Amino acid sequence: MTRSCPAIIGVGRTKFGEHYEREPEKLIEEAWLKASVSAGLERKDLDAGYLADYFLPITNKIGIEEGFLSELTELHIPMEKTRSFSSALLNACTAIQAGRYDVVLVGGVEKMTDRWDKIRDDLMLLEDPWSYYAGCTPEANHELMLREYVKRHNLSASDLETFNLALAQIAVKNHKNAVQNEYAQYQREISVESVLKERQKAQKPLGLYDFAPISDGATAIILASLEKAKKLADTPVCVASSASATDYVTYPAREERTGFVASSLAMKNALKMARIESTEIQIAELYDQSTFLEMVSLEDLGFAKRGTAWKDITTTLSESQRFYRVNDKELYVNTNGGLKADGNPLGATGGAQIYEIVQQLKDKAGSRQVKTDIELKYGSALELEGFGTKAYVHVLRRGD
Amino acid sequence: MSSEPIERRVSYIGDRLRGSRCEICGKEYFRPRDYCGTCGRKSFGKMHDIDFFYEKGTLEVCTLVKEPTNKFTKLGSYIYGLVSFNDGKVRVPGRLTDNLLQAKEIDVTQLEGRGVVPRFRRRYAVEQSDVIPTVALSFTFVDEYYPFQEHQIVKPKKEYEKPGIVGYGVYTSRFRIKESAIERSVPFVDEDSITAAVEAGKMALIHSGIDPTMVAKVYVGSESNPYAVKPIASKVAQVLKLGEEDKEKGLQTVDAVDTEFACKAATCMFKDAAALAYYPSARGHFTMVIGTDNSQAAPRNEIGGELDFFVGYGASAFIFGINDVIAEMEDWCSCTSDTPDFWRRDQESYPRHGGRFTGEPAYFKHVTKAAEKLMDKMRLQPKDITYFVSHQPNVAFPVKVASQLGFKEEQFMPGLQVAKFGNTYSGSSPIGLAAILDIAKPNDRIVIVSYGSGAGSDAYSLLVTNEILDKRARQKFTVRYQAENKNIEYVDYETYRRLKLGM
Repeated sequence: MTRSCPAIIGVGRTKFGEHYEREPEKLIEEAWLKASVSAGLERKDLDAGYLADYFLPITNKIGIEEGFLSELTELHIPMEKTRSFSSALLNACTAIQAGRYDVVLVGGVEKMTDRWDKIRDDLMLLEDPWSYYAGCTPEANHELMLREYVKRHNLSASDLETFNLALAQIAVKNHKNAVQNEYAQYQREISVESVLKERQKAQKPLGLYDFAPISDGATAIILASLEKAKKLADTPVCVASSASATDYVTYPAREERTGFVASSLAMKNALKMARIESTEIQIAELYDQSTFLEMVSLEDLGFAKRGTAWKDITTTLSESQRFYRVNDKELYVNTNGGLKADGNPLGATGGAQIYEIVQQLKDKAGSRQVKTDIELKYGSALELEGFGTKAYVHVLRRGD
Repeated sequence: MSSEPIERRVSYIGDRLRGSRCEICGKEYFRPRDYCGTCGRKSFGKMHDIDFFYEKGTLEVCTLVKEPTNKFTKLGSYIYGLVSFNDGKVRVPGRLTDNLLQAKEIDVTQLEGRGVVPRFRRRYAVEQSDVIPTVALSFTFVDEYYPFQEHQIVKPKKEYEKPGIVGYGVYTSRFRIKESAIERSVPFVDEDSITAAVEAGKMALIHSGIDPTMVAKVYVGSESNPYAVKPIASKVAQVLKLGEEDKEKGLQTVDAVDTEFACKAATCMFKDAAALAYYPSARGHFTMVIGTDNSQAAPRNEIGGELDFFVGYGASAFIFGINDVIAEMEDWCSCTSDTPDFWRRDQESYPRHGGRFTGEPAYFKHVTKAAEKLMDKMRLQPKDITYFVSHQPNVAFPVKVASQLGFKEEQFMPGLQVAKFGNTYSGSSPIGLAAILDIAKPNDRIVIVSYGSGAGSDAYSLLVTNEILDKRARQKFTVRYQAENKNIEYVDYETYRRLKLGM
């Protein structure tokens, strides 16, 4: 990047979970207000807004979501709508770097539990209509990829036992992290035994505790050009890079089915833009729609070698550590509890990832603050759309 | 309400698993496309239509789905996975069908790597008033009930003087209910009279080896079409690509019509189909007659429930023409009377059955009249006839009528299939005919007499030719194969009712 990086000067979010008594507008209002307070900002300071949501037109029959944001803020500035929060953030970064805006609101909201009765159908149709027609479910794709992985890397019966345990430990770790997160959907611990028991009950490689829930929630951040950020904030967190990549919507048609090509490509470009190595990243928010995806994302992003992430996980997590030891370095993953325990309101999820990294980099994560020998400098977030059809990687850096 | 444009597009591609192959690099795609992703612009106009309808695939990886999405809940648990074709050139998502998984321990890893064949089925459940969604992304294992069979087009060799049967096929499902001495076929929950019609037609194409584009008309007789208005025949024509295809417009230059006359809805069209194939300007063309039914019956404790002891599920298809005929149609005779012995009023779910007229004067009068008149006309004695087959609503009626007409057991027993599949309504006497053709020798004479309530009978005399021996090897999925298959799965009464009701 030739121009200086945009900076995050405020963050806000709601609790994730079921908000059946609140309209989606109320959720985004709460997140936006918190973000504006934390940035010490007035509405009039905003030049533009980017709002992310997947399903409001389906779940809540809201057509032009930006209009609601306009009504809330009584602003008539340019506003655009995207699916994922990361996509909104990428667009906002591009606009600021192009010199078009100085201060931008980036928000995300989702109200999945309003249509809990049919949201899985909508999720599956979003992932891939043809797989849906053949009877696929949002969970089944994860299990197929797991089977592909096991076969590709030729895991033996004893390997498989360790592998399964590693995935269970991911869920346990994420729930443990969420206990310290006041906004998390599930602020409670679970045990490895309970994860295994759910799998046994389902007769499947992944069970109830391996999958992220459906959630309601909203997140918001205020993004500013570096010049503006320096005036407004004492410790800005820079978006060192913002990258994305795209893959086929139909998972069965992809050549690579043991991981996400889009994730690898986005990460490669993100590292290049940030001019860092992956080993410099100390905290990462990964898109753990399932425990398996958290594991495989470690490989997709180059934190672990292909076919080995599960080994890295078991050795460190069995010692009740919160980090993974990869490449002889400690990597903290999903310190907010991840999608599994923090919750997964699709359009808002990426915002919770950014929220977490910002708080950690600013040493404001409270009781879940990561303490390392080397001061935290880089954090990254991977967000996916669909089943790896789109991948977004953002690298955040403390200070300019 | 579902969207009919989306429904049309999805089923057009999905019912037959249509795709494309790049002439330049050989890359294959599920779903037709106008250019190759690898070769780009230079592949414009060089993409060939392919489909995977008759192909064998491999189930590569799979998982158990116990909590399907909303529209699939009536399927219960099922196996879902990735199916590859042509050594992994193409992969499609697929659901294994014909599997009752309740209370069964499944090790999915044992299923991976096995061969599968695509099956044309209902896609998922919709509202009763909606267009019925279909797809062939449903699969069964090749080493189970339904075999993999290649579809080869064979150039016709010989033109016969009289039109007749050129090929045939029968389809009954893997599931059966067995009560006392009678076994009856039961559809899987995603099957109905439409899917059976397509399956039987597919079998007839495989057996006959004819070029499907040479089919001029398809008739589908049924009394259990899930639509009150909308033909099964149009689906059959499109899925089986009958008649010449206009790719641009997405249509087939073929005539297609549904017929209805209780259990003789199909047999009554045999002569029409033969006559059409004999029409001077249609020479060299073929016609197809399908009888298909998911035979309806009210539950046993309701009015009309007595039928519930006999109803089966299945379809038969016969192709008529004058080329490479396996059985010439010598002559025919039909009779009709307005006898209210069995009926179903519009918007009623199940047929009624008067009782007074059922056997006499309904069944026996019509069957006997048609048979005697035909034999009279042709000056035939029972001894001149090798096999006799009649409509089979139960075991007693066809045995009694055959005996009364002077036929011996060895003449009528080979065609008696009701104890194996139940009363398949429009498919009943045709399945009996198919069972006979499966074993018949050249110069055997077969007399078939159908019966349809309401009422009427069609009698035909067929003379088997040498051709039958040449074609026999092309069809593994014979009537006997389906009756005695070791992969048949027996279900209890509750399951039978549930499966029959469908999705």
